[in-house]
Amino acid sequence: MKVVPSRLSEWVRPVTLQQPACAIIEIERVSQVFQTSARKDHLALSDISLTIDEGAFVSILGPSGCGKSTLLYIVGGFVNPSSGAAKMKGQAITGPGPDRGPVFQEFALFPWKTVLGNVMYGPRQQGVRTNEAEAQSRALIEMVGLKGYENFYPKELSGGMKQRVALARTLAYHPEVLLMDEPFGALDAHTRTRLQNDLLNIWERDRKTVLFVTHSVDEAVFLSDKVVMMSKSPGRIRQVIDIDLPRPRRRNELLLDPRYQKYVVDIERMFDESDEAGSPS
Amino acid sequence: MISSTTMAKRAAPALACIGLLAVWQVASLVLKSDSFPTAIEAIRAIPDILGDRESLINILASLRRMAIGFSIAVLVSMPLGLLMGRSRAVAAFFNPLLMVIYPVPKAALMPIIMLWLGVGDITKTLVIFLGVSLPVIYHSFEGAKAVEEKMLWSGAAMGLSPLQRLVRIVLPAALPEILTGCRTGLVLALITMITSEMIARQSGAGNILFNALDMGQYDTVYAMIIIVGAMGICLDAVFERVRARLVRWSEPQFDLPLSFS
Ligand SMILES: Nc1ncnc2c1ncn2[C@@H]1O[C@H](COP(=O)(O)OP(=O)(O)OP(=O)(O)O)[C@@H](O)[C@H]1O
Ligand SMILES: [Mg+2]
Repeated sequence: MKVVPSRLSEWVRPVTLQQPACAIIEIERVSQVFQTSARKDHLALSDISLTIDEGAFVSILGPSGCGKSTLLYIVGGFVNPSSGAAKMKGQAITGPGPDRGPVFQEFALFPWKTVLGNVMYGPRQQGVRTNEAEAQSRALIEMVGLKGYENFYPKELSGGMKQRVALARTLAYHPEVLLMDEPFGALDAHTRTRLQNDLLNIWERDRKTVLFVTHSVDEAVFLSDKVVMMSKSPGRIRQVIDIDLPRPRRRNELLLDPRYQKYVVDIERMFDESDEAGSPS
Repeated sequence: MISSTTMAKRAAPALACIGLLAVWQVASLVLKSDSFPTAIEAIRAIPDILGDRESLINILASLRRMAIGFSIAVLVSMPLGLLMGRSRAVAAFFNPLLMVIYPVPKAALMPIIMLWLGVGDITKTLVIFLGVSLPVIYHSFEGAKAVEEKMLWSGAAMGLSPLQRLVRIVLPAALPEILTGCRTGLVLALITMITSEMIARQSGAGNILFNALDMGQYDTVYAMIIIVGAMGICLDAVFERVRARLVRWSEPQFDLPLSFS
């Protein structure tokens, strides 16, 4: 077995541009209370504060039901927090906007539109001319590996293909921040790896800010600059871990990198501890 | 190549019609009643009715009222239903009203409407309108309510205003359900059309039918029933074609039990 690639990664390690980190999203003391049908208040998020730098890839990691999606919806402006505030570039977030592009866990494609129609929807809404929007969208569809499926309706696609259309549809209108809710959760391991690589390539090319929800530890470590670990009932931030691994990241190199392995093992251990701490008394 | 199953499927409605006529023919031959002509006698009376200028004008007037009543009902009820499905306030306002109107047979309102508006076209069109409105409102409402919230959020993130979301997301997403309501509405339009003409006897297909009944021309009565039935079947078949085209994109649905296409 050759171990050379892991060494090679040291060589191709890019000069990281040390521009002053600039906060793009600030979450300040956000709490979210839900009225459950049993007329009891349910504290889904408790006192969350988090700052996300422009161009950073930040993952939110936590057990099911800890409020990851809810936090993402608050940043998206789809849900108003019960208390606290979220800000984008210093401005309080009061509603959704094309500067923040969501990719939902449920895909939420428009079933009456073809793949091309779905991807073109955002640019057309933004007033991009039809020809231009179509050309861009076709390129995006090819990039997510769906060339040839432009005229398919969502019902004719597999889960993984729908997920890719959802990603392309959001990328198409160039949001500054991508809000991705377990986008690869429903995919098979192979497609998942491919899409992780694709996402990293896209991200390394245009350095969008990404807020990425996942419950997979190695996915979080592989992709992120920063991993926000959450714990459950109530949803809190348990720890924020900076992932100091070189970029561009190659999966086959990273898997052999002891630093990567240590991050994964450490975070997994913390996860187990939080499970014990968070189990209902 | 048409497989034998699709051929059987296509032939089934025709076979059912022929079977029905055959049973009718035999039954009337056995019963030998004056008020129960044979199927052949009834069918023979059809050309006489359709060949008669005045009858034809009457039938076309019926169809016109039906078309106008149906169209206005869809144009009013669909937006109302969609709004009710997306806004709790609108639903809370209209729901009690609709709950009161819903169980009332629309034809039972005719005497009151006739007192106000006479026995003319307006009264009959209004009754058709009322008959069509409720299923269209109901199905539009259900369709709009079921629209996935994340779909609307996606639209909002792209910059669609609330009104744009209603027209460009809720409407197409609810279309299969809306069209199901329209199809029910179409059949109800035919029913209320005939009923209204039977109460306000002045013109129309229903008028021919009941006049013939009064005069004991039973073959004409039965011929008119066949004509009205055939109109219903044709309208429904055409509508079903259009519907299937419009919602090709949606999940395959089971055929409605009343499908003649
Ligand atoms: N609309 C709502 N009404 C009431 N409770 C809600 C609502 N949305 C979320 N919750 C509750 O808030 C908590 C957090 O939900 P959320 O969907 O954010 O979890 P999550 O971390 O995304 O979980 P998963 O990983 O399973 O997607 C859950 O306990 C859930 O029951
Ligand atoms: Mg979630």
